[in-house]
Amino acid sequence: MDRNWVVLGVSLLVWGLLFAWILRVEKRLNELERR
Amino acid sequence: MIWRWGIFIWIAATMTASLLWAPLVPVLGETTRVLYFHIPAAWVTVLALGWSMIHSALYLWKRDLHHDDHAAAAAELGLLFCIGATVSGSLWAKSMWGSYWNWDPRETSIFFILLLYGAYLALRGSIEEGEKRARLSAVYSIVAFVAVPPLMFIVPRIYATLHPDPIINSTGKVDMDPRIRTGFLFMLVGFTFLYAWLQVLRVRVSRLERRLAS
Repeated sequence: MDRNWVVLGVSLLVWGLLFAWILRVEKRLNELERR
Repeated sequence: MIWRWGIFIWIAATMTASLLWAPLVPVLGETTRVLYFHIPAAWVTVLALGWSMIHSALYLWKRDLHHDDHAAAAAELGLLFCIGATVSGSLWAKSMWGSYWNWDPRETSIFFILLLYGAYLALRGSIEEGEKRARLSAVYSIVAFVAVPPLMFIVPRIYATLHPDPIINSTGKVDMDPRIRTGFLFMLVGFTFLYAWLQVLRVRVSRLERRLAS
């Protein structure tokens, strides 16, 4: 397999996980601020 | 919510274009890919540490803890991105120079920045009282930032280094394939927005912590 696709796959996976985690943190923060 | 997904798509699309459309630099070969993460991380480091210095000065002027929150958040995030730049640079060094760490002027400079801002966080952690912590940290942050531009931009240009030419090279030109340059500039913008988002979140956490403490 072309190495560019492997690097792209790993990069997108890491970025996707990081993005989902930040969204989760923000959601939790919104909940805490409303209390 | 839309702008958050905008950041996600921007960075994901730039990664895709950079890795599939832009060519590899002949001298750097496969390691070219590190460029799209390493330089934006270093850029955000300088941006965040500068933001920390500005808010530190604003705190000393206005004595508003909101500026201290911004200064502390920016220093933390600057350090985080600096670690990212160091790790990605070190992986690149292993591939190109055969060893993760070589005490090259670039590596030595970034090591000092890590030490400087590690000490900033240690200082913050060692003072309980809020106003005193904010005041001393603000002074430290301003003094520490004085060293950042020389360490980042001047020292590596004075001493002989194995590190590739900076983006704007010694002749004042950007010597880069236009496709690589486009990917790199788009990633720089993406990282900047990511940093701005994280900065806002970290400041909100600080405010919440203060509200809970009182």
